[in-house]
Amino acid sequence: MIRAVDPELDLTVSRIIRAPRAAVWNAWTDPASFEQWWIPAPARCKVVEMDLRPGGALVTQISENGEPFAPHLSGCFLAVEQLERIVFTNALVGGWRPAEHPFMTAVISFREHPEGTDYFAHVMHRSGDDRRMHEELGFHDGWTTVAAQLAALVERR
Amino acid sequence: MAQHSDRLDDIFQSLADPTRRTVLGRLGRGPATVSELAEPFDMALPSFMKHIRLLEDSGLIRTRKEGRVRTCVLERKPFTAAESWLSAQRTLWEARTDRLEQLVTTAHRRGPSR
Repeated sequence: MIRAVDPELDLTVSRIIRAPRAAVWNAWTDPASFEQWWIPAPARCKVVEMDLRPGGALVTQISENGEPFAPHLSGCFLAVEQLERIVFTNALVGGWRPAEHPFMTAVISFREHPEGTDYFAHVMHRSGDDRRMHEELGFHDGWTTVAAQLAALVERR
Repeated sequence: MAQHSDRLDDIFQSLADPTRRTVLGRLGRGPATVSELAEPFDMALPSFMKHIRLLEDSGLIRTRKEGRVRTCVLERKPFTAAESWLSAQRTLWEARTDRLEQLVTTAHRRGPSR
């Protein structure tokens, strides 16, 4: 199910991946595999929690230049449909608890395709001030803590 | 990207000082004059003005002078370039998908998936 795409706020990535759907699904849902692609090398990703059910937590950390691991993503799964679809948001953390700095919901779809897997990511963002924080977070993986403090400072006071 | 990094250096340098953070926090609630901003601090005005200038140079605030009163405003533009924001997100997710694709196609060629 794909909702209307808002070109101002959403992005989509569509890709035919030449591998079986189960392989793509496993790369997404196996923490050790997920760590290998979620964050660009040489930065390292650690999956702290990946509780694949609605309400389950998705928590990752990042380490750059050998620094200690720092918070990266803290979100909540909204839907997990085996081999079909994963929906998560950072508007909530694990257990449905509202998050401090929400800005994004991602719908990841996996479909059978004659050449492998039709992989589709639809990432919806909040408008307004939250974009600023996401720019810093997304552009500069690793600056997370400082950027979040910056955003909190500028936006919350 | 390099330009973006330089700007971030300035921004983080500006934020590395408690006085400037307090000033930014105050300006987050709305514009204020320099004397209003200086009031909570036990600091000579010239020293305080150095902080204001640094914030202005980093692009975090704008100031304008009317008569003898200088008013400061938080500059939100450094963080609101909507176009570059969304295209940066797109780049991030596309690169992420590239890496996922590479991982699974490499694994698939080597043998059956786990």
